[in-house]
Amino acid sequence: MLELAIPRLRWRAAALLGALALALAACGGEPQPTSFAGITLIGDRAYLASNLFVHKLDARSGSELWRFPAQQDGNNPVGPFAGRPVKLRDAIIVGGTLQFAGAPDNRLYAIRDADGVELWRFVPSPTAKEFADGVATDGKLIFAPNGDHTLYAIDPSQVENGAPRVVWTFKTGNRLWSVPEVAEGKVFLPSLDHSLYALDAASGQLLWKFTAGASIASTPTFYEGVLYVGSFDQTFYAINASDGSVRWKAAVDAWIWCQALVDGERVIVGDVKGKLYAFDRATGQRLWTAQTGGPIRAQPVAVGDSLYVVSFDSYLYRLPRNPTPREDGSVPLERVLENGLGRRLLSTPVVYEDLLLVPLFDGDIKLVAVNLTNAQKQYEVRVVP
Amino acid sequence: MGNIFDFLLVNPMTNALMLLYGALGNSYVLAIIALTLIIRLAILPLAIRQQISAMKMAAMQPQIRALQEKYKNDPQKLSEEMRKLGFNPFSGCLPLLLQFPILIAMYQAIVRTLAVTPLNLVELGSHVYSFLPSIASLVPIESTFLGIFDLGLPDRYFIIPILVVVSTYLANKLLTPPSTDPTTQQTNQMLQLMMPLMFGFFMLSTPAGLGIYWIAANVVGVLQYYITKPILDRARTQHGLSVPAAPATASAASTAALTSASTPAAPPPKPKVKVKATLRVNQSASVRKREEERRQRPPAR
Repeated sequence: MLELAIPRLRWRAAALLGALALALAACGGEPQPTSFAGITLIGDRAYLASNLFVHKLDARSGSELWRFPAQQDGNNPVGPFAGRPVKLRDAIIVGGTLQFAGAPDNRLYAIRDADGVELWRFVPSPTAKEFADGVATDGKLIFAPNGDHTLYAIDPSQVENGAPRVVWTFKTGNRLWSVPEVAEGKVFLPSLDHSLYALDAASGQLLWKFTAGASIASTPTFYEGVLYVGSFDQTFYAINASDGSVRWKAAVDAWIWCQALVDGERVIVGDVKGKLYAFDRATGQRLWTAQTGGPIRAQPVAVGDSLYVVSFDSYLYRLPRNPTPREDGSVPLERVLENGLGRRLLSTPVVYEDLLLVPLFDGDIKLVAVNLTNAQKQYEVRVVP
Repeated sequence: MGNIFDFLLVNPMTNALMLLYGALGNSYVLAIIALTLIIRLAILPLAIRQQISAMKMAAMQPQIRALQEKYKNDPQKLSEEMRKLGFNPFSGCLPLLLQFPILIAMYQAIVRTLAVTPLNLVELGSHVYSFLPSIASLVPIESTFLGIFDLGLPDRYFIIPILVVVSTYLANKLLTPPSTDPTTQQTNQMLQLMMPLMFGFFMLSTPAGLGIYWIAANVVGVLQYYITKPILDRARTQHGLSVPAAPATASAASTAALTSASTPAAPPPKPKVKVKATLRVNQSASVRKREEERRQRPPAR
């Protein structure tokens, strides 16, 4: 019996090892992104930071002009990349975010705009962590929020020993996972430590601090001296940018991790349970709501007479810019592509002429251009590593 | 389907884990241990029922073997007779299978609440209950443990993966029941060795918080074994099983190993020599007959 059992045992062991090998093989290929892709449009060129690569694309056709890195080196990988790329002089600046399984890529990269060649890479400190949402700029300095709770202000015009100079740093109480808003010589920095900080852009000096009931993860929107920002405390705030006082606040149904859109006299924002809200910009009165099928993290976009919003549920939604709400205050949404885009949508799209360029969260297709005139896909940007 | 699973299991566990984290002084490790205990207590009746059911099946083994021998050429009649006998091959493993979703949900709740990545945090936000706004103030959770481990990252000191390997091995060794079938027994022994190594390997690249859960689950599983032992012993006596009971099925034993031996299936295995002796005693009549025939056959030239 035992002799007979041995071949069977070997077979089972082989099957188990085979299953293990298959499971490990499935871990190969492109890793699942951990943070959100970002797209920036400059003229007719789109810069897309999405997982393993940064792409420079022709916005009209989607053809790739360069990608960084040209090829990932398994022994010396760079990235993954997340957040909107920023252009400063002749360089495109992108941040490296968390790698799969939590190991951080804590580097900033500067890529030459003309040909996609790396100019410099920069680790702000030995304890630095991920740049989860890229960087912001005021045209002089780069403001790089890091997972080590610190905002780094660096001057890319002063590169010494292959790295730019750190001009100042500002430490908060928790991770920085969203880029700050930069306006009127100030940096408005949201932090998961529940606070929004106003800093002097040149010196990094703290001007004021506003504390909410929970984390502030979304980038505030600055408009005519007011900051519009939501928090995980299920509240949307209008804050005076001069002193951090609350102008008004409005209750919402879930956490907010979406940058608000100021559209005329309205402020539009979404929550992580898929509800879109419109508030009166002056008073904070709720004007209408609309429900999508998944978390809304991307900023809504206004084009012509329409508002567009993408959702975690893979759909691009459209609604009139001035909708007439039902009795209960809700507004119906229309799906632009009936079958959706097939992937989770978490990044803010950009508009190029009649095209809406929508980054996809994961998968081989990194970007879909939707023709807003005929509501059809114009092109897809597919990346095979 | 995913939504139903989330609604029924993952969301309650996610919110419970966050509430426990807040209630236990913002200690994520204590929250994991507390939730593991609560879940094990909740499914304890199910686990005991499964064990008793497995014992019943084990007690029926001689009758089943006799029926198998009698109706070896008539499978339909065999299944009829087995049914009459009250044999249900799934009764032992069904309760165990019902525990699987709970374990998977626990795993998902831990990944979500640790919120290692921005994506995890968005997902956490969409699964916390809006009527518990106080949970939001706990986010992001303090993931540092003992000042050296970041529970959200893989353990770079390899302490937690090693503890996972050791605790899984010891728990499996204690909790996986011995089998009367030598093949199953050998497979179990192999799984007892392979599974801890596999879990340890996975722990090298997964957040250390998950390792804490595995260790807690193993420890709680062993404690549960000792707590439920009197009940199981009583049931064993009732069914006339004075020797170590066989598992209901081979898959049940493998599953016990796969789930970090979440529930005790039988008393700890006896030393190897004794197991072999038991196997010899329990070999079916047909096997003995075949062996006798083989011995009497003249050697092949």
